[in-house]
Amino acid sequence: MARNLRIRVDHDVCVGNAMCETIAPKVFRLNDDRQSEAVDPGGDTVEKIIEAAENCPVSAIFVEDADTGEQLFP
Amino acid sequence: MGAAIQDNLFTPDVIADPYSYYGRLRDEDPVHWNEPYELWVITRHDDLVWLTRHHELFSSAVFKTDPRPPYPAIDESDLGLYEYVRNYQGDQFIQHDRPEHLEMRRIVHGYFTPKSMEAWRPFVQKAVKELLDEAEEKGRMDVMRDLATPLPVLVIAQMMGVPEQDRRYVRQLAEKLLYIGRGEYDRMKPLTEGMRGMIDYVSPLVDQRIVNPGDDFISVLAGGERRGVFSRHEVLVNTSLLLLAGHETTINLICNGTLAFMRHPDQWALLKRDPAGLAKTATEECLRYDSPVVSIQRIASQDVEMRGKVLNKKDRVRWFISSANRDPAKFADPDKFDITRWPNQHVAFGNGVHHCLGATLARVEGQEVFRALAERFPDLRTETEDLEYQPSITFRSLKSLPVTWQ
Repeated sequence: MARNLRIRVDHDVCVGNAMCETIAPKVFRLNDDRQSEAVDPGGDTVEKIIEAAENCPVSAIFVEDADTGEQLFP
Repeated sequence: MGAAIQDNLFTPDVIADPYSYYGRLRDEDPVHWNEPYELWVITRHDDLVWLTRHHELFSSAVFKTDPRPPYPAIDESDLGLYEYVRNYQGDQFIQHDRPEHLEMRRIVHGYFTPKSMEAWRPFVQKAVKELLDEAEEKGRMDVMRDLATPLPVLVIAQMMGVPEQDRRYVRQLAEKLLYIGRGEYDRMKPLTEGMRGMIDYVSPLVDQRIVNPGDDFISVLAGGERRGVFSRHEVLVNTSLLLLAGHETTINLICNGTLAFMRHPDQWALLKRDPAGLAKTATEECLRYDSPVVSIQRIASQDVEMRGKVLNKKDRVRWFISSANRDPAKFADPDKFDITRWPNQHVAFGNGVHHCLGATLARVEGQEVFRALAERFPDLRTETEDLEYQPSITFRSLKSLPVTWQ
């Protein structure tokens, strides 16, 4: 069964580099301020979402298991 | 409003203290047309963030699309050399727009993630230690010559997989490449020597790593050539881009940051109490307070309205990081050097899709340098207050920074 994820993008840190949107476009989308929002935490595989978080140049993306609270990234 | 704003960006007082001049522009005319250099001067923090996040309105392909001569002016007999520089610079991935920019950036982006750069921290620590060991015996050093200039080259040479015996030569080339951001009338000769030298030096390394790739940065670029994203010339100039973009900027972070500490003894005392714990926020404040890069240029891709003014398609648009990072609308007490400031949304690395690729590496180098200086040289002080800056509006570069700790 797919894992339920909780994804947070820290807007004090996000610079709108948009690499997350490139890697997982169904999950991350830039808002009107051109900062990333996690619009659909179930929009891609856990691996792809972690890859997107790892490629954030300013480490603004935090991923956890919504059911267990286990921190998956960082 | 006082007297009219003068438009010469290269006068000695503007070079010595850009903060007063651009601060006044930010207050009085934040989207300012500079007639002598035919460019828009953008100085507010919110405008910079907006501009850099709207890459589709402001082209990064400056060298390829701007037919105007370089500024400040160069020797007319060097215009041929400038053509060489334009072609060279124009092929760097940072001088491209989407969709090509994204394709190119994806090749190199993974090499520079925060996680991958963290793995370089022990190497940086060791390099800093060795440079400071050498300096320690003398009791004094020029931070510029003895620490800030060699450190980034040691790191970059290691990333490129340059053999040990060639490092001195690469460092000589790197020092010629530093002319990129300067204003001297005759800067094209040493600059093109550095560029040609790099191409000649790197070519056989690329040949080798196309066939036999390793985990170094040249192999990453060579992989981009194998996949058809980069031409050979693009591989070669992007290899030197690592030195062009990662050298001067890191030098300035180290020198300007050290000077900021020397001029703010309370903050130096604070850092010394907990060098490891404060290195991170201190480095961010150094990046904000006296930013390594003063300004960067784009070309308007279409007519754009900003603060009631119309920037016409093809206009030069120059955004001033140094001014945005002192914007009182964004930062409380913007002229105060406060190493505990957090969050610290400075724009020292730009913003948006062109956000500096090497940002994490620069941060690691800054953190390790300020930490090591505080731990090893608690009595550090400048030997003179008579300091000079390079005549550049791109880089905030000291010419030297002599210090002592005896």
